[in-house]
Amino acid sequence: MLAEAYRSFKQILDEKGIVFSFSGYLSEGILYSLGEALRQKMVLEEADVNTVKKVFSVFVEQSQNIIRYSADKLRGEASGHAVELSSGMLSIGTEGGRFFIVCGNEVRAADVPKLKARLEQLQGMDPARLKEFYREKLREAPDQESKGATIGLIEIARRASSPLEFGFDAINDDKSFFCLKVMI
Amino acid sequence: MENLTIASTERSPAVEFDFDKGRLSFRGESYPEDASAFFGPIFSALDGFLSSRPALAVQFELAYFNSSSAKAFMNILQKLEQAAQSGMTVCVDWRFAEGDDTMKEFGEDFAEDLEQVTFRLVPL
Repeated sequence: MLAEAYRSFKQILDEKGIVFSFSGYLSEGILYSLGEALRQKMVLEEADVNTVKKVFSVFVEQSQNIIRYSADKLRGEASGHAVELSSGMLSIGTEGGRFFIVCGNEVRAADVPKLKARLEQLQGMDPARLKEFYREKLREAPDQESKGATIGLIEIARRASSPLEFGFDAINDDKSFFCLKVMI
Repeated sequence: MENLTIASTERSPAVEFDFDKGRLSFRGESYPEDASAFFGPIFSALDGFLSSRPALAVQFELAYFNSSSAKAFMNILQKLEQAAQSGMTVCVDWRFAEGDDTMKEFGEDFAEDLEQVTFRLVPL
């Protein structure tokens, strides 16, 4: 039973073309290690250097979004210093010869409308407009509450080869599960 | 004023700021855990330098940087442009690996906002 259950779990990932998947509490240290493994794997498979950079860039921005904005966090002290861990999931795979990166994490229900509006705005932009919008946001002082989220999402949209796919699944009145898929 | 030297790490670039020679360089990758903590001392050193010296040559040689670092680099270039408009001689070399489209495009993007700074794209 044990092996069957986990084999079928692995098969679901394989069928979706997923080559790397992480689910759980993410930290900057895990981001670094996963990112290195991802780059090494792509280099071993002789992926195009510009593709490796795009995948890595989207991976970093998505991971940092989870670390900063996940509504499911553990805070406390470990080994004498403050620790904050953010729960979420990250998967990288291939589909039709293209790489994709999916991230998922809980967000506060109150933040859903703003995040949805931001992503819909980016979906409607062509590469030239995205580039222009990125430069506008670079020049601006950062939003008080967003720690640079907008610029991160524009960076993600710029590296994508097709419009961003995203969705929300309400968990309860306070929280929703947010998912974002990026094709490179 | 003291020179500023920051050794590179796996996630942050080597920074060398030589006050006497008027040279500042960034080399490596930049996606530090806390961008404001990393760039804060660099901004302070730069502000000190720009208020008291006549010329600065800056070199960027980066393989990758995240969006928070992009914001910091833009901030640095804005400070340089301001200094150049007040009469300082500022030149920036944006060095990138030949064939690295992303870094080349970033260089072109940054250059668009600069009028008085001499900006050169240097493929390596």
